[in-house]
Amino acid sequence: MSKIEKALKRARDERGNLQVVPAAAAGGRIVPWTALLGQQIELPETISRMGGNEGKLLSADALREQGIIHPQHTEEPVVQVFRELRTKIIQQSQGQNAVILVAAVSKGNGGSFIARNLGAAFAFDSAKTALLVDCNLRNPSVHQLLPNASLPGLADYFENPEIDVSKIIHPVGIARFRAISTGEFREIPAEYFVSMKMRRLMESLRERYSDRFIILDGPPMSDIADARILSELSDYVLVVARHGRTTNTKIESGLSAISHKKLLGIVFNDEPQIPWIR
Amino acid sequence: MNTEQIAKTLVNESFHSRRLFVALFVVVNFVALAAGFFWPKSYTSSTSILVDDKNVIEPLMLGAAVAIDVAGRGKNAREVIFSRKIMGGVLEQGGWMKDRPSAVEQEEFIEQIKKRTTLSNAPGGGKAIINIDYRDNQPQRAYLVTKAFADLFIAEVVAEKKMEILAAFEFIDKQAQEYQHKLAIAEGELRQLRASNLDVRPGGEVELSARLTALNTRIENAILELREAEMKRASLEREVNGEAKVSVLATREGQFRARIAELQAKLDMLRLSFYDTHPDIVQLKNQIQDLRAEAGVQRERLEKAKPSERMDPDETVVNNPVYQQLRRELSQNQLTIDSLKSRIAEAQRLLREEVNRSKDPDGGDARLAELTRDYQINRDIYQDLLRRRERARVSMNLDSDSLGLTLKILEPAAPSPRASGPRFWQFVLGGLALGILVPLGLLYSRMQFDPRVRMASAISQRHGVPVAAIVPHLWSQEALIGLRKELAILALVVAATFALSATLSVVRFLGVL
Repeated sequence: MSKIEKALKRARDERGNLQVVPAAAAGGRIVPWTALLGQQIELPETISRMGGNEGKLLSADALREQGIIHPQHTEEPVVQVFRELRTKIIQQSQGQNAVILVAAVSKGNGGSFIARNLGAAFAFDSAKTALLVDCNLRNPSVHQLLPNASLPGLADYFENPEIDVSKIIHPVGIARFRAISTGEFREIPAEYFVSMKMRRLMESLRERYSDRFIILDGPPMSDIADARILSELSDYVLVVARHGRTTNTKIESGLSAISHKKLLGIVFNDEPQIPWIR
Repeated sequence: MNTEQIAKTLVNESFHSRRLFVALFVVVNFVALAAGFFWPKSYTSSTSILVDDKNVIEPLMLGAAVAIDVAGRGKNAREVIFSRKIMGGVLEQGGWMKDRPSAVEQEEFIEQIKKRTTLSNAPGGGKAIINIDYRDNQPQRAYLVTKAFADLFIAEVVAEKKMEILAAFEFIDKQAQEYQHKLAIAEGELRQLRASNLDVRPGGEVELSARLTALNTRIENAILELREAEMKRASLEREVNGEAKVSVLATREGQFRARIAELQAKLDMLRLSFYDTHPDIVQLKNQIQDLRAEAGVQRERLEKAKPSERMDPDETVVNNPVYQQLRRELSQNQLTIDSLKSRIAEAQRLLREEVNRSKDPDGGDARLAELTRDYQINRDIYQDLLRRRERARVSMNLDSDSLGLTLKILEPAAPSPRASGPRFWQFVLGGLALGILVPLGLLYSRMQFDPRVRMASAISQRHGVPVAAIVPHLWSQEALIGLRKELAILALVVAATFALSATLSVVRFLGVL
């Protein structure tokens, strides 16, 4: 039994004792991981190359309550789906890291859900890391993953020339997974995305670590301008369409906004399946 | 989109809309149960009547008897069966009249009965089968009404047929009698005419003209003969005038002259060879001399006798035979002429008579012809009617012996012990099946008509973009627990519906409700 396997076993044993805070879980809301502090939490075992500060890692069940997959949820078909999607992207990028824009066809299609779970899937692999960038300025959601919603984000980076990139990248309680929130915008700064600074940010993020996959949690494609700009900044685009929510017309108009070369495909989200029937 | 995909999607959709599914299932089942409960029970009784217009007797009696076209009756069986008369009988038999309904109510009953009655015709091969189906909520009444329909229908058709034949017979009989009477009158008139007019004969016209022609010919011939006789008479008269009454053949003078001439001739002869002095010649001269003297004497005597016109009977005077002959012929001819004249007069008289008779408008011939014609026509018609009457009589006998009857009940009405129509268990099963099919159909139609995308494959087909991943719903532990509870409740509801259906089926089967 290797050292890693031992560690995994121990983690699994410890998880058995974990107790989820009922109040936080009851509403089905996404709970800041800090709320779970003080409980027994899985400790980081692998070395982080992103500065070593992973923060407190969340348990598999805690993640599940937040709608995030975990490698231990082997019985979940969702996990398998994201693994396959991840593998597909890695194959496509031929092992290189890549910027992947995840954009929903319209609001409420679960673009953010796909983006963060895709990031989590990348982070499954101990040789890869994932960075989730919240580009949905009108309806941001990444800050919910952060321990503190007021942590500096993209807005701070754009408005404060002094600030370093490392200051806006925050751990989210998942090993090898970091996130950049939108921060607090005082105005709607869609123009930031077309600025050179944004371009430089992307390049620096990509080039800093060759094993880091950057996932942009994009705005809905109904916001054609933003979607187009962000697709230009990214290598691949995933379009998210949710079961029973999107019409073909919307999908068509969304697809027209992006280059088909970059389009990896459509992620059909939230297909109703009977949970116990695999 | 293949079937498997559709089926899978339908299962997923059903799960997705599980509450709606179960609600529809329950509602449909309740509706079916209610329908099963309140569906009126009906009992159907049926009978069939065979209508045959090709029976054995018909070809045998062909031309002698007429079979009523029953098949035609079969065609308008509906009108006959639904006639007021039969419907009245049906009301009586079915027990509707017990409560003495008003005319309006009766009308309503009749309408209801008509609605519940099904008539069908199965014609073929000269035969027709009329099926009468009647359904009612009382089994006994269904039977009674159906039976009444068949019986009354047959009775009606038979009665009508009988009446028809009888009427036909009576009509023909009446006509025959009338013509018999006419014939008798015509015969009497004819007889009377014959009696009063003996010479009239059938065909008088032709004979008359023949007679006239014969008379004319006779007259003409007689006239010709008369002419001939008259010409002959004229000729004879001429002949008679030219001929002497008597002829003097041997007067003395004549004899003398003849002797003289004879002697002269002899003298001339002798002179050729002798001289006058020859004794013979001298002698002859003397003789002639003597004879001439003698002849002179004679002539004188004759001339003396002439004024007295008295013939000397002693003279050699004789009656002329030619004259006699002519006189005889003349008188013969006169006789002929007289007789011809009288013949002509007689013939002309006859001719006049004939002509007069034919000119008479009230003459016997025209009357005879008319009467004869009437008689013949009446006789022909009368004979024809007699034949027809006999045929009608045979038809009537045929009918009364029921040999011509070509209507019979093929399958008599029978009381049906079991209610027809859908059974309660059919409603229950139908409810269960529909309870599943209706929501599935609705979901399928939602899939088809809702513009919102519910199938990943539809997206890739439509937009030509690959589906990178199909992400199922991620259930939180909490939600799963909730789902379990929800599914348990839904299963309970479905089970309760099943139980209710089963219970009601059993209760119904046992006849409690």
